[in-house]
Order: sequence, then C-alpha cells, then structure tokens
Amino acid sequence: MSLRSLAFASACVLALSTPSFADTTVTILHVNDNPAAKAVWDQAASDYEAAHKGVKIQFKYLENEAFKAKLPTMLQSEDSRPSLFYSWGGGVMEAQVKAGFLKDISADVADTAKSLSPTAVDAFTLAGKTYGLPWDTGAVPIFYNKTLFAKAGVKPEDMQNWDGFLAGVKKMKAAGVTPIVVGAGEKWPMHFWYSYLVMRIGGANALSDAKAGKDGGFKNATWVEAGKRLQELAALEPFQPGYVSTSHGQSAGVFGDGKAAMDLMGDWLLGMQGPSSSNGKGLPDTDIGVMPFPSLTGGKGAAGDTLGGVHAFVVTKGAPPEAVDFLKFFSGEKYAKAAAAAGAYVPVFNGSESELKNPLVKQIAGILATTKYHQNFFDQDLGPSVGRVINDISVSVAAGKMTPEAAAAAIQEAADQQ
Amino acid sequence: MTDAATPGAAADVGRPRGLLTAILRLAILFVLAGIVLLPLSTTVLDGFKDLGELHDNPIGLPRVWLWSNYWGILTGQRYWQVLGNSLLIAVVTVFLTLVVSSMAAFAFAHIKFFGDRYLFAYFQLGLLFPAVTAFLPLFIKIRDLGLLDSYWGIILPQVAFSLSMAILLLRNAFKQLPAELFDAALIDGCGYLGYFRHVTLPLSGPILSTVGVVGFVGSWNSYLLPLVVLNSDSRYPWTLGLMAYQGQYSTSWQLVLAFITLTILPAILMFLLAQRYIVAGLTAGAVKG
Amino acid sequence: MSTTTSNEAAGANRGGTSAWTTLVIFLPPALLLFTVFVFLPMAESSWYSFYNWNGLGRPERFIGLKNYQYVIADPVFLRALLNNGLIIAISLLLQLPLALGVAMLVGGGAWGSVAFRMIFFLPYVLADVAAGLIWQFLFDGNVGLSAATTRFLGVEPFYLLASDRWAFLSIIIVILWKYFGFHMMLYVAGLQNVDKSLLEAAEIDGATAWQKFRHVVLPLLAPMIRLSVFFAVVGSLQLFDVVAALTRGGPFDTTHTMVSFLYYFGITRMRVGFGSAVGVLLFSFCVIFALGYRRWVMKDD
Repeated sequence: MSLRSLAFASACVLALSTPSFADTTVTILHVNDNPAAKAVWDQAASDYEAAHKGVKIQFKYLENEAFKAKLPTMLQSEDSRPSLFYSWGGGVMEAQVKAGFLKDISADVADTAKSLSPTAVDAFTLAGKTYGLPWDTGAVPIFYNKTLFAKAGVKPEDMQNWDGFLAGVKKMKAAGVTPIVVGAGEKWPMHFWYSYLVMRIGGANALSDAKAGKDGGFKNATWVEAGKRLQELAALEPFQPGYVSTSHGQSAGVFGDGKAAMDLMGDWLLGMQGPSSSNGKGLPDTDIGVMPFPSLTGGKGAAGDTLGGVHAFVVTKGAPPEAVDFLKFFSGEKYAKAAAAAGAYVPVFNGSESELKNPLVKQIAGILATTKYHQNFFDQDLGPSVGRVINDISVSVAAGKMTPEAAAAAIQEAADQQ
Repeated sequence: MTDAATPGAAADVGRPRGLLTAILRLAILFVLAGIVLLPLSTTVLDGFKDLGELHDNPIGLPRVWLWSNYWGILTGQRYWQVLGNSLLIAVVTVFLTLVVSSMAAFAFAHIKFFGDRYLFAYFQLGLLFPAVTAFLPLFIKIRDLGLLDSYWGIILPQVAFSLSMAILLLRNAFKQLPAELFDAALIDGCGYLGYFRHVTLPLSGPILSTVGVVGFVGSWNSYLLPLVVLNSDSRYPWTLGLMAYQGQYSTSWQLVLAFITLTILPAILMFLLAQRYIVAGLTAGAVKG
Repeated sequence: MSTTTSNEAAGANRGGTSAWTTLVIFLPPALLLFTVFVFLPMAESSWYSFYNWNGLGRPERFIGLKNYQYVIADPVFLRALLNNGLIIAISLLLQLPLALGVAMLVGGGAWGSVAFRMIFFLPYVLADVAAGLIWQFLFDGNVGLSAATTRFLGVEPFYLLASDRWAFLSIIIVILWKYFGFHMMLYVAGLQNVDKSLLEAAEIDGATAWQKFRHVVLPLLAPMIRLSVFFAVVGSLQLFDVVAALTRGGPFDTTHTMVSFLYYFGITRMRVGFGSAVGVLLFSFCVIFALGYRRWVMKDD
C-alpha cells in the first residue's frame, strides 16, 4: 500500500471510531427581539447544554416579515428546516400540519402540558394532536390615559358597556381630547375592534360557527351587526386625524405622547409607547390604566372574554428527539418564572404570574387567568387569506367605505375561495 | 473655451456658450438637485436623531446630534463584515454579468444564425415576467443545485436576472458601432474573438459601465434572495444585517437610517469609478482616422 | 446553417475565430444561466396558476382556470390595471422628457456634470426600505412637508397617504424621483455616441442649440430613446418596490399595481396559484406590448 492510501485509510478509521459526540444541533427560529426574553432563553439554552453534553441549542432571530418570507422556503428544504420554530397557531399552523411539516408530540409532552394554561395548549392542538408547547400569551385590553380621562370627566366604570362607551367618547370629543388612537395604516390594529365586537355579540361560538358555515357563515347576523357597531363608533369620529395611514409604531408614539385617550392594543404597548414617543419616555405607568373591552347588552359574549395571541415553539418533522426534550425543559417552571420576573412576557405556566412585577401586566395576567374564552387573533386563527380580508374590511367599514353587509360577504367569499 | 480643448467631452451638447446660459444651466441643476436630495438628506440627518424625534421632527435638523448612532455602527464588527459580504457578492455579480452578457450580445449583434431572432426574444422574457412570482421555484432550483447558504447561490441567480436588460442594452450599443470597423478588422485577419476583445469592448465603455452600475445597485440592495438562500450570519449582506434593527413590535428606525446612510457610500464610490468610462467617452473620429 | 455575409465568410477563411466558434463559446453561458435560473422557475410558477395552493408541500388541488376568473373579477385588480396605465402615461409624458433634458445638461463635460449625475442617480441607489420610510415622513400630515405647507397656507392638515383620492399622487412622485436618474444615465451613455464633428459642422452652418438638438442629437439618440421607452413601459408594468415601500397598496387598495396586487393578495395570503395567475396575465400584457413595439417601433434595432 502506498503511503498515501495508508494515510487515507487511517483517516477513515479515525473518523469512524470517533465517539458520536457528533453534536446534535437543535435550531430554534423565532421573531422575538425583546432583550429580557433573550436573556431567559439563552439561560435555558446554556443550562440544557450543560446538562446534556453533545447537544447544541441555537436560537436564531429573524425579523417578523423576514421570518414569514423565509419559513416556507426553509420548510421546503429538509436540511435547512429548523428543529423548532415560533408559531402564532391558527390557520397558518393548520396549513403547516396539513402539509406534513409538523411533528405530533402529544404523547411526549402530555405531562408537561398539564402545568400550562389549557387554552394556550389548545391553540396548538389540532384534532387532538399537539404540535408544540406555548410559552406566552397576551391579552388585548383597552389602555387608557388617566389624565385625559380626568380632563374629559370620564370614568372607566362608566365605559363598561357599549352605550356608556359611546357616551364617554362623545364627552372626550367635547373636551377636545382625541378619544382613540389606532394604527390603521397597518390594518390589523383596526381588526381588534371588529373582532371584539364579533366576540361580544356572537359569543364564544361566533368564530367556529362562521367557519362551519352556520346561518350563512361569515355573512350571518353576528358579523353584520359587528360591522354596524363599528360604524356607529366611527361615526363619532373618535380616531386621530389621518388614522388610515398611521403605522403601528406611530400610534404607540401618539399614545405615549399623551395625545389620545385610548388604545385597544396588546400588552406589548407598554414596552413600546416609551421609546416611540417624542421624549423617549412616554407615559409613566401610573398614568396608564387597563380596562376590558365594553360588553354589549343582548350580546352572547361575556365581558371577561379575551382576545389575544398565544405563542409557541412547534416541532418540525425530522427534528431530533433532543428538540422535544429541550422544549419540555424550556416549558418548565424555572424559565416561566424567570421570564415573568424579568417582565419579558406573560408565561403560560400555571401560577407563574405571581412573579410579574409590573402592576399593569399583572392586571392583564389576572384577566387572562379568569377568562372563560380566550380567542386567538382573528387574522391568525383564520389563516393568512381570510385573515387579511378581515383586516381590510375592518378599516373599510370604519372609514365608511364599505357597508357591514358587503364586508361580511367579502369575508365569506375569501373563506369560500380557500 | 473651445470644444477641442477637452478631449473627453464627446457630446458637449450641454456645454453652455456664454455666461447667461451657464448660469441658467446651473440654476436649473441646483434646484433639481435640491428637490432630489431632500429625501436623501433627511435619511442622513435622521440617523442622528432618537426614535421619538423621528416622529416629531423627521425632516429638520436634529435637536441633539447623536453621533453615537453612527459611531456605534462604524465601530461594530457587524458593519464591516456585512459590507464586505455585500461588496464581494456585488462585484462578482457585476463582473460575471458583464462578461456573460457582452458575449451573448456580441453574438446577437454580429452573427446571423438560424433562430437568432427567437433566441433574442427568449432572453427578453426575463423583463416581461414578474420575478416575485418565480420565487419559490427559484429557491428549489438553488437548493437542488446545492447552492444554498453560499455566495454563488445569490450571485448566479442575480446574474441570470440581469441578463435580459444587459443583453438588450449591449446588443443595441454594439450594433451602433460603425460597420466599417468590423469589415476593416476582418480584412486585417482579425477574427470575431479578436474584434470583440480589441474593438468592441474598449469602445463600449459608457454602456458597459452603465450596465455595471445598474447591476451593482441591484445586487447591493437585494434582500429577498439572500434572505431565503443564506442561513449563516457570517455571510449576510448588509440588507440582512440590517434586519437585526427591525424588531417585532417596534423598530429602531433611526439606527436603520444611519446604517443605510453608511451603506450608500460604497455604491457612490462604485458610481464615481464607473463614471471615468463615461467622461472619457469615445474617440470620435476613430472611423475617419 | 447561417447566411453569413461574404465578409464574415471571408473572415473565417482568413484565420481568426469564425462565426461558428464564436457562437459556441459566446452563447451557452448566458443561455444556461438564464434557462436554469429564470426561464424554468417562471414556467413552473405559471403552472401553479392552475392550482389552489398555499405554497407548502406540492400543489395538489387542480382548479383549472378558476384563479383567472377570480383575478379578472376582482375590483382591486382592475384598479391596479388602471394604475399601471396611469404610471405608463406619466412615465412617458413626464419622466422621460425630464430625464432627457437633464441628460443634455449633464451629459457633457461642463462644470459639475459628474457630481450632478451622481446626485440625480442617487435616488435609484437608495434602498427601498429607507426611501419608503422617508417619503412617508415627507408626506405625513402632521410633521412632513405637506404639514409645513398646510401650516404656511393656514389650512387644515392634509394626510396625503390617508386619502384614497390623492394617495396615488405620492406613488407618482416617488417613481419620478427614483427612476428619472436611471433613464438619465441611459441617455448620458447614449450621448457619448454623438459625434463631435457633426455638432461642430452644424454649428459652423449656424444652427441654434434647439436645431442642433433636433437634427443632430435626437436622431443619433433615437435608438437609446426607443430602448428607454421600452424599459419605461415594461418597468411601469412590473412596478412593485415603490408601492410596497410607500403605501402597501393602500389606502383601501387604491394604489396597487398589478405586481403589488400579486404580492399582497397572492403571496402573502398564501394563495400562490392566485398570484401566479396574476403573473401570467401580466406577462401576457407585456408580451403583447413587446411584440407590438418590436414590430412598429423598433423595426431596425
């Protein structure tokens, strides 16, 4: 044997005999850039790596739109698939399940899931099979500016039902206060208003009934009525001028500048309104109040029903078993409490809300804990096609460009074309 | 001031005769430049502000000049790394585009062959179909060729997409070169290849540099293609590097703008480099001489 | 195989590369790259237009021409078509003459030409993410240029981007701003072909600036102008970047172009087949234009 082939042969033997500390890498693709969350996650990663030699946990961040653009292509290619990725549940997850990209982990996580909020876990369960574990949830309350309320002589208790709410808006207009700020340029903030109206009018079954096509599906009375109510509100001209082209970021700034009294928005507004405002500080927490969306008399929905997102990491088919193992590890009490304490997000681990420090966030967590019906954002739940139509019509109806009936019909049409 | 005094100015059509015309010309140019530059100056100035001031006072001068915004970017390792990646990808893209398209354009310009009109039209298809639709199948091709997560996975498709416009522009330019030059070259025993190297390319400076600059800018600003092709942070061009400043719920737009301001500089340099070929221009009279 | 001129055949016989060799070396690289990375993906995506597909996995639900029916019936698409037409008109009537005029002023060696060329080209260089943001500021009713104007005139603030009647104007402004420099560059390159001696001869004959332009420059620039018009029309039809950066098609879907419609209603809504149908329709319009243009305008090019 020549020297060269000897060298080659020995290299091969060496390679084959290397003990398989071949690192298993678990990649986790996500969109969360909150530094507090990052700290908690990195801690979980290093703790797990320390306890499991030969496993690398890699969190990979992509900006929201970039994530949505890249994920379908990543799923197409077996070697670039992440082991876990960030999910909002809803229609997109359904599509991913149908295409066979997600792994059924029901058996593996049955125990872990017991300590998590059942509604949250449900959001990532389809036909009895669980595909991921949630780690945070949020609710969309109405944030209000206490100073401006006082200025207009409005009390939050009086705004608990729809008629009282409208009366309050009128009072604010009379006092020269802009009642509501909404970033309708991006459309989805407006659909929160429409969604809540549907929920208050139609109750917990409104969405599922419509999906099932009951009474004309999305064209039924609930959805049309919701549109009518939205128009009723919009007729009072409660929104900031130029609202149709205001971005979400700008709207947070408007609220932080104290230029509008109310913002129906997710809990992330608290972290956002400061940096987005002109002075960089925004409203002090003591000046912000939290109140639920008003109820409608005669509506089937309960005042405590909440709208909000749930976020999880779902598992892709072909992910190594360590991925599921890490997911369980990560979903444990330790990191949920760490996240709550750091104010990173509202974790879904039962009881971890006790660690929350910010009183406003605590209040929101309290609402979440007692709600009987928590609905994922409509535009997530219904999938990207119907979801975007709901976003579109919410703005059109509010601006008076579309009748409630036409809007409801448009939603149904999009659902039919799916 | 006579025209003959400036050898490079082949097309002195705009050269003003007399002071009044000169002033008029400059006045028009300055006004136009002012309008054009306003958005660009806003970009630069906004890089010095904080996020709140962006909402409040986006166009004016910064109340407080946050040099730290720019300085932080310049001293970060990320800036230089992504800039280097972008530069590498863009330069190779431009070089390949020029080589491949000028060869094809030359063939179309001078050689008649069966189906040449159809083949030429085939290349034009690239201009007529919206590229954004073809994204998913393009990704699959790149993946199947094993080019994922590599520079070539970006460069080759970019070159391919530039070909339609480049071949069209170059072929037209090549055809405009005087036919007598070509005949003369052949009589002298110079073949096609020789003609291409010694006559066509040197005389096509302006159009080649135009194609080069357009190709450079296209590659420099490309975002979607690198996004889906690349996985390693270390290979990110600046467009992807920028993504880190764009958060899920709120984006540090002032840093985004500062970053972008800094990334225009290489593109400007490239432009100035390419301009040498345009001002130098043709030696008019090559035909007569 | 080829009808070579006697010159070309002569060249082949006298040594130096022949036409045939050149062909074999010069065409395949472009052909290969283009076919693999452009043509094939386009053909495949056209095929998707016959399916109801969300982009995951493989297309499975064949629905024939249904996507086309949906597209043609969609009022937003029809509005987008109209918008595209308006953009073409403005491009040809405003943008190109402007570019040509400016090219005349900076195409030569007069003072500051290179600097001005760079300034006018800069909008084309600026990445869309920045351009979109900045123009949104400029148009903002509260703090932008329009705000300054309304305050100066003492009228109510005007929110250009929120107005479904006027938002399209913003798109036009940004298109002009961004692309006129590109066409200017084409004309500058073309001006390099204008033979000095012809200009000098015309001057000796006593021609005015306008006459020199009309009778010397314009005819020599004509091939480039024809090309520029072609790019302007095709580019206008394919316009997407400005819309995505500035209005995303809003408000109320009044500022869409066909490609932005394709993107926002097709791709982001995971209706890949629908989007492809729009793409194929757009392609057909472009092909019809290209054929007609080639036939009647670019006969000799």
